Amino acid sequence: ADIISTVEFNYTGDLLATGDKGGRVVIFQKEQETKSRPLSRGEYNVYSTFQSHEPEFDYLKSLEIEEKINKIRWLPQQNAAHFLLSTNDKTIKLWKISERDKRAEGYNLKDEDGRLREPFRVTELRVPTLKPMDLMVEASPRRTFANAHTYHINSISVNSDYATYLSADDLRINLWHLEVTNRSFNIVDIKPANMEELTEVITAAEVHPHQCNTFVYSSRKGTIRLCDMRSSALCDQHSKFFEEPEDPSSRSFFSEIISSISDVKFSHNGRYMMTRDYLSVKVWDLNMENRPVETYQVWRWRVPSCPLRPRAPVRVQRVSCPQVHEYLRSKLCSLYENDCIFDKFECCWNGPDSTIMTGSYNNFFRTFERNTHRDTTLEASRESSKPRAILKPRKVCTTGKRKKDEITVDSLDFNKKILHTAWHPSENIIAVAATNNLYLFQEKIN
Amino acid sequence: MLGRGLKRKLSDYEENMAGLSSAFDSSRSLPYPLKRQLVLNMCLTKLQTYKMLVEPNLHRSVLIANTVRQIQEEMRQESNQQPVNICPGIAPASHSYAGMESPGISLQLPSGINQQESHCCDLRSAEDPIENSLLIVSDDDMSSAISSILKDLDFVEDISPPTCLVPTGDDQPKFPENTGLKLEDDRQDLKGAECVFGSFEISNSTSYLKDLAIDDIFEDIDTSMYDSDFCCPPLMPPRSPSLATEEPLKTFPSCNSSSANNIQICRTDLSELDHIMEILVGS
Repeated sequence: ADIISTVEFNYTGDLLATGDKGGRVVIFQKEQETKSRPLSRGEYNVYSTFQSHEPEFDYLKSLEIEEKINKIRWLPQQNAAHFLLSTNDKTIKLWKISERDKRAEGYNLKDEDGRLREPFRVTELRVPTLKPMDLMVEASPRRTFANAHTYHINSISVNSDYATYLSADDLRINLWHLEVTNRSFNIVDIKPANMEELTEVITAAEVHPHQCNTFVYSSRKGTIRLCDMRSSALCDQHSKFFEEPEDPSSRSFFSEIISSISDVKFSHNGRYMMTRDYLSVKVWDLNMENRPVETYQVWRWRVPSCPLRPRAPVRVQRVSCPQVHEYLRSKLCSLYENDCIFDKFECCWNGPDSTIMTGSYNNFFRTFERNTHRDTTLEASRESSKPRAILKPRKVCTTGKRKKDEITVDSLDFNKKILHTAWHPSENIIAVAATNNLYLFQEKIN
Repeated sequence: MLGRGLKRKLSDYEENMAGLSSAFDSSRSLPYPLKRQLVLNMCLTKLQTYKMLVEPNLHRSVLIANTVRQIQEEMRQESNQQPVNICPGIAPASHSYAGMESPGISLQLPSGINQQESHCCDLRSAEDPIENSLLIVSDDDMSSAISSILKDLDFVEDISPPTCLVPTGDDQPKFPENTGLKLEDDRQDLKGAECVFGSFEISNSTSYLKDLAIDDIFEDIDTSMYDSDFCCPPLMPPRSPSLATEEPLKTFPSCNSSSANNIQICRTDLSELDHIMEILVGS
């Protein structure tokens, strides 16, 4: 099993695609609930596996191009087949995944095993019939979009017009038509004429879910630019510029590095967008550019005032426990030294946009409920996840003596990181990738 | 697999670096300039490591280069304010980093670079490895290093990867001895680190062939044979700035001219070469 590098549900949530470092794509399909297997709801089984990208060697530059899948994006389903886009550092491919569950039998000129029959053996004519066969899922590459990116592709995003999509690398964003592979339009180019002045890098880009002319891209400076493709062919001038003023009291040598945005995602309703930087998740209202409307610290735990009772309304006192957050801030130099500070975490919305989720270290992932400000920390590990067992929330503390189910900051494993998470578009099923394991959790319905 | 980055050997260097960063994080009594120097050294070390990779990560390199710039800017401001009034000049700078250290530290900050060095020497022996190795890098070195690092992004260097992988073996043994950079060696390392982005364009430019004029492609192939002492310097005009934007080949100095002149030079050299051959063979 290889390290999982991307996770994505399709538009209905029936299919879940994962890409890994070896260039493979594995698609899982949701089991249909049947009377004979009432507990199978929410189970995902392997549907198809195929090799999407192979390692390439660029002879001109003496470089190897990694086959690692950086992103997978599904296309909305328009016929019986499923389509998805998968990309590595340089090349985007459109794959068609189709089912075959019938085969033709009764050919006149061929035997059942395909050998040609002797002409004198053909004594009668018959019409071939379609007989059911074991389901076979085939994946075939339909388009290859190559040679358009000088730098490493970090994002792809399918437009709501279902005809175009954009791809972004470190310095440029291109717009493609799904049918045209030999041409793409460059819509953003932040490469300076003089490379000495290079200070900004594109870190993520996404198209608006409803407005096919709007897209956003984030930069390593912690800023987000919203652009309108109707305004000009080259969208170097932004329409909106989102930046939170820096808090001078929390400035450090690493302030710039930790403010680099690693992921940006529009909400499903298109009204908000969410950005993930190293220590926090921020929700922005598209109508307000000067600061986010909500900020969630990934490493801050809220202390509830009373023990949680099931089904009782939770009253959460706004007493936050900042020690862990500050602890991580104080660890920044070590995290910089071992390159952990460059980890790119993703974030995602749930269907109704009421909860957001993001991953962290020690195989922890956190969900934040926007209305109640309740947050949950869960761990994706074999020890804590028996099938159908309820996950216990975890908590991180700073003091030496820890309560049950707590973990001290010193014992956090920074090599176990959850970078990729995905939420089912309509149900409370989440997919969490922990290095080379994929975990699927669902809400328990009694 | 071909083209993979070099793996650093685990050595005392790594232990020292790990010790430094944890010292940075845990020790609250490290004076601010020392912390800054620590971070600077780490940045430069990283850039040097990336230089050895065939394809360094642009994003990370930009982040680190910006951190170096930021530190350089701060050091420049401090040295500018030095002759006027030191304490107020430094205090605001340290105040902005108040989150990093307790307020008491800012009072301990020495008032000048020289005093900083002497203060370094006054540190406890436990921090000897740090203070012995951290010497102040001059501002000019820093800015030249940063600009050369990023300028190299623009160059298409017609060098094969082994050139970039040429071991800075001289540098490596230095690290176990002193975990920082000495002043003269700083210049070496900083300028050596300029090659960190050196292979960027060659590795990343898909428009390599499209952008170059046809003549430019053959420029170095032809003239490499004639790169001899017979090249007359006056015949070669200086490299035009317009070429810089077209990602010219960084070849032998004698080839940095327009293609027309080059052909003339080739012809001149060819006839001279014939002449020499005649002499050699004839006798």
